Amino acid sequence: MSHSGNPDSPSSPAKERLVFKRRGVQIFGLGWQDVIRIFFGGNASLAIIILILICFFLAKEAFLFFPDHHRDLNSYRQSGQEFVGFMGEEVTAHTNLYSSANIAYFAEVNRTSRVEDTILRSYRSVLANVENRSSKTWGRLEREIDALEEVEDDLSDLDPETEEDVAEIASLTEEKRRLEKEIPPLREKLKREVNTILSWDEIWDLGVGAEEPPADSIPGIREAVLFEAFPDAEEEHPFIEKTKQISKEKKAAAAAELAEFKETIKGMQAVVRPLKDLERELKEPALENKKEITSFSTAPERRDAWLKGAEATRDPEEKARMLARAEEVVIKEPDYAAINQVFYDAITRHASIAAPLEVEMKTLFDKLPTPAGVVTKSAKENLKRAGVFYDRFQESMASNRKKIREWSHDHPVTVVESVSAFLVGKNWTTNSSWHDFYGLLPLFTGSLLISIIALTVSVPFSIAAAIYVNQLSSFREQSFIKPAIEFIGAIPSVVLGFFGILVFGEALRNISQVEWLQWFPGFPMAERLTILNAGLLLAFMAVPTIFTLTEDALNNVPQAFTENSLAMGATKLQTVFRVVVPTAVSGVIAAVLLGFGRIIGETMVVLLVAGNKIKIPDFTEGLGVVTQPAHTMTGIIAQELGEVDSGSLHWRALFMVGMVLFVISLLVNFAAQRVLKKFQKI
Amino acid sequence: MEVSTQDPPLDASAETMENPLYKKHTAVKRRDATISVLLGVATYAILACAAFIFLDIMRKGAPVVFESSFPFVNTEFFTQSPESLITFEIEDGSYFEMGSSEFYEWKRENPETRIVEEHAHPYSGGGILGPLVGTALLTGICIVVALFIGLATAIFLNEYSSKGKFMDMLRLAIMNLAGVPSIVFGLFGLGLFCLVAPVITDVPQERALFTIPIFFTDSYLSFEGWGTCMLAGGFTLAVMILPVIIAACEESLKAIPMGFREASLALGATKWQSISKSVLPYAFPGMLTASILGITRVAGETAPIMFTAALAHKDKLPWQDIPVNKNANFLAQSGEWTSGFVSQSVQAMPYHIYTVAARIPQNEWTRPMQYGSVFVFMVVVMLFAALSIFLRTRYRKKMKW
Repeated sequence: MSHSGNPDSPSSPAKERLVFKRRGVQIFGLGWQDVIRIFFGGNASLAIIILILICFFLAKEAFLFFPDHHRDLNSYRQSGQEFVGFMGEEVTAHTNLYSSANIAYFAEVNRTSRVEDTILRSYRSVLANVENRSSKTWGRLEREIDALEEVEDDLSDLDPETEEDVAEIASLTEEKRRLEKEIPPLREKLKREVNTILSWDEIWDLGVGAEEPPADSIPGIREAVLFEAFPDAEEEHPFIEKTKQISKEKKAAAAAELAEFKETIKGMQAVVRPLKDLERELKEPALENKKEITSFSTAPERRDAWLKGAEATRDPEEKARMLARAEEVVIKEPDYAAINQVFYDAITRHASIAAPLEVEMKTLFDKLPTPAGVVTKSAKENLKRAGVFYDRFQESMASNRKKIREWSHDHPVTVVESVSAFLVGKNWTTNSSWHDFYGLLPLFTGSLLISIIALTVSVPFSIAAAIYVNQLSSFREQSFIKPAIEFIGAIPSVVLGFFGILVFGEALRNISQVEWLQWFPGFPMAERLTILNAGLLLAFMAVPTIFTLTEDALNNVPQAFTENSLAMGATKLQTVFRVVVPTAVSGVIAAVLLGFGRIIGETMVVLLVAGNKIKIPDFTEGLGVVTQPAHTMTGIIAQELGEVDSGSLHWRALFMVGMVLFVISLLVNFAAQRVLKKFQKI
Repeated sequence: MEVSTQDPPLDASAETMENPLYKKHTAVKRRDATISVLLGVATYAILACAAFIFLDIMRKGAPVVFESSFPFVNTEFFTQSPESLITFEIEDGSYFEMGSSEFYEWKRENPETRIVEEHAHPYSGGGILGPLVGTALLTGICIVVALFIGLATAIFLNEYSSKGKFMDMLRLAIMNLAGVPSIVFGLFGLGLFCLVAPVITDVPQERALFTIPIFFTDSYLSFEGWGTCMLAGGFTLAVMILPVIIAACEESLKAIPMGFREASLALGATKWQSISKSVLPYAFPGMLTASILGITRVAGETAPIMFTAALAHKDKLPWQDIPVNKNANFLAQSGEWTSGFVSQSVQAMPYHIYTVAARIPQNEWTRPMQYGSVFVFMVVVMLFAALSIFLRTRYRKKMKW
């Protein structure tokens, strides 16, 4: 504990000599009262010490991260993995383009058989529901039928002539008779059960917004489900068969119409194959190189470990063995030029593949239908995205061609490259057999998107509530609303996250399927756990913080301001919006900033609800990006730190993420305090 | 201005007074009314969301916790620790559902019965005794530490300090500490308490940062960390709520009028005598409120204890079967009861909820455990929150000098 009290305090009692003052015991000129003061001062300075310690522990790991990361990036280059990575980027760019065109094609084809597909989907859903409800009887019947088959099998295997089998045959026949007697009533029971269950409404609940099958198909579905209640029925009910058939025919007809579209897509898939093959071919030597380099860099460590072990053991035989093992460790630097020759050789090959690929892709892309030329919404959107992806593909080809041409394994990784690989790296990949990347961007984007949504929702509501409570409501309302909102602040975040997973996510997805909400970008949502879900829950969480601080700021506006404004003839609301709020505006801004700090540092809600997909959200969807899953800076620490070795690169990367969070929180705090100071001057 | 405003005569009723400027329905008034309603709607929308969440959890959680017959509470839920839930059928088609320990007993008693369709649902059986106890212990350690440091800091800030650089730094540090994300405190706690904090031990571990031999004994002060344990978790949480506790304690000290101190000093009491005799006793209710507020904050935190203290599964309660660690302990010599006790990991409610909500496969058998735990946890935390709000209001009313 530090003893940094305040020695120059003017209230030091030793200064004045009172006549009747007892001196008391003094050590080093410090009396008992000083000791007490220093004790309290020391405790107080703990706050500073803790802050410094936080900085120290984060900074220690974080600064060790950069050299390690730099070394790691160097080995990525020296092993030629980087070279192959360039080609991988090209392939990914192509895949994005191809798959969105593909989705558009299937959306167009499936459009024609929509009714039939709905019927089949409803049938499957109802059947699953029914099976679930009657699972006990159903499962038992299935088991008994299986058992009967088994018994019959066994019986046919046994020979009635041989003596040993006779007893067994008797018992098996007995068993068979029992089963045969039991199965028919069970079957009846199941049929009755299914019939009752089918009359329940909830069985037919296909989820809010799911398309209802046409009314005339419902008896057919019911029949088919009842039919399925005979588990030994090999074939499907004729109604289902027929529907499937029709669906298939319609799809075929649509496909025939869109034959050219299909050819284009197939062409796209075919034309990239040489590049993919080349990439796959080169991956192997790159991994070999990586192994060699890793083994070289860890060799001294391994040898030291053996030597240390040998020193520690007392058994001479064991010692000799360990020393021998230490001798065996070869420290040989790989010949980088030689192991990378294969990549240099591949440069010309790549050039000869890439040039025609670009040309052919251009013709193929031009052949794709335009968004105006297709009917369904999904196809239109995906073709639009395909346009964006095509531009990106061209860019990627151009930039990577240059990178590949100029690539050199012994070009050292610069500090700028190494730092930016972390701060603006687009990949966060761990435990990969290829190479681990530690790029902050996907996590940062996720955190930022969630915070933006949370703030846009939370700020209007909280400020409105603060204005209402502070200026418009009666005293009784106040004394009810304020504690209630404080209560919201007391809800543990893990409870909110739980609510988000189990209730809110499902509800949000259902809402997203409602017909008249389809104008909202990204609706209908495919996922339950999304940025939007997390953002809305965090908005709710941030309300108490923003509300309380805004309310305080409004409260601090001198009463005279309000009175003067009212005396001038302004209405109540004119006073609020033109006098009170503008006066308190810096307090409100500080409240919003601190609310932002609370949101971006929140862990459990985003860990549970944001979907935890480590990828930069796909911004080609426009605002619909909010309906995608994402991962966050806080979430990644919570998720991964428990599973990594302390001191490893991954561990340090996580501490580095913590450092970034810490710096953000300090900056936000600092900004809020600056704003508040301005406010106090009024 | 043309119109002269006269004071209305006191006895005149409103009807007889015709104010020429007063109009009943102007556009401005209509707009004002609309905006007021909108603001009110926004406020009540927030409360409606809160009510919905609360009621939803209550509706689904209460049936797990309460029963229709005596004793009206599901006692098993509060007297057992989480375990797997086994569902199975036996040959004749009867269906069973029981916790794993009960299941093994049942199996021992009925060795003949053939079991079909056996399913295990992790963490869905048993009760929540372990997590409840763990959270209580963590919160207890945290409050003791935080209240000690927080109160001392508050006394210094309010009674001893004078303006200066040190004070500015202190205020700045406290304010910044309040804004640090909880997961960063988790990292910090892991780095400091779990991996570096000092222990007194006879055999220092190799990973210790450095060791200092203690004179006249065989022991060393080894900076090797306490490991993942409730002590580390409690300290981490204490660091986290320090700003809250300091602020609350300071407020309670500030509420005591200067006159108390001055009178005491004038009677010849020393500084410390006047603080301890005529300030602290009156600040006590405020400090109580602060600690309850601290409990509400701390009990719900998951991120700081994830790597420092919490454990998803633990068979025994902390006081059963205390591990005797020969080499590492906190303050005492090897293998003592206290040090063994606090150097265990514990289950904790928020971590348990995280486990059942996100780390196990979801199905209808996991629901009762999920909603039951969340319900109990939320009610407990809410009760503490209500208590702190209630105490604060009462205290503010009472403490008017």
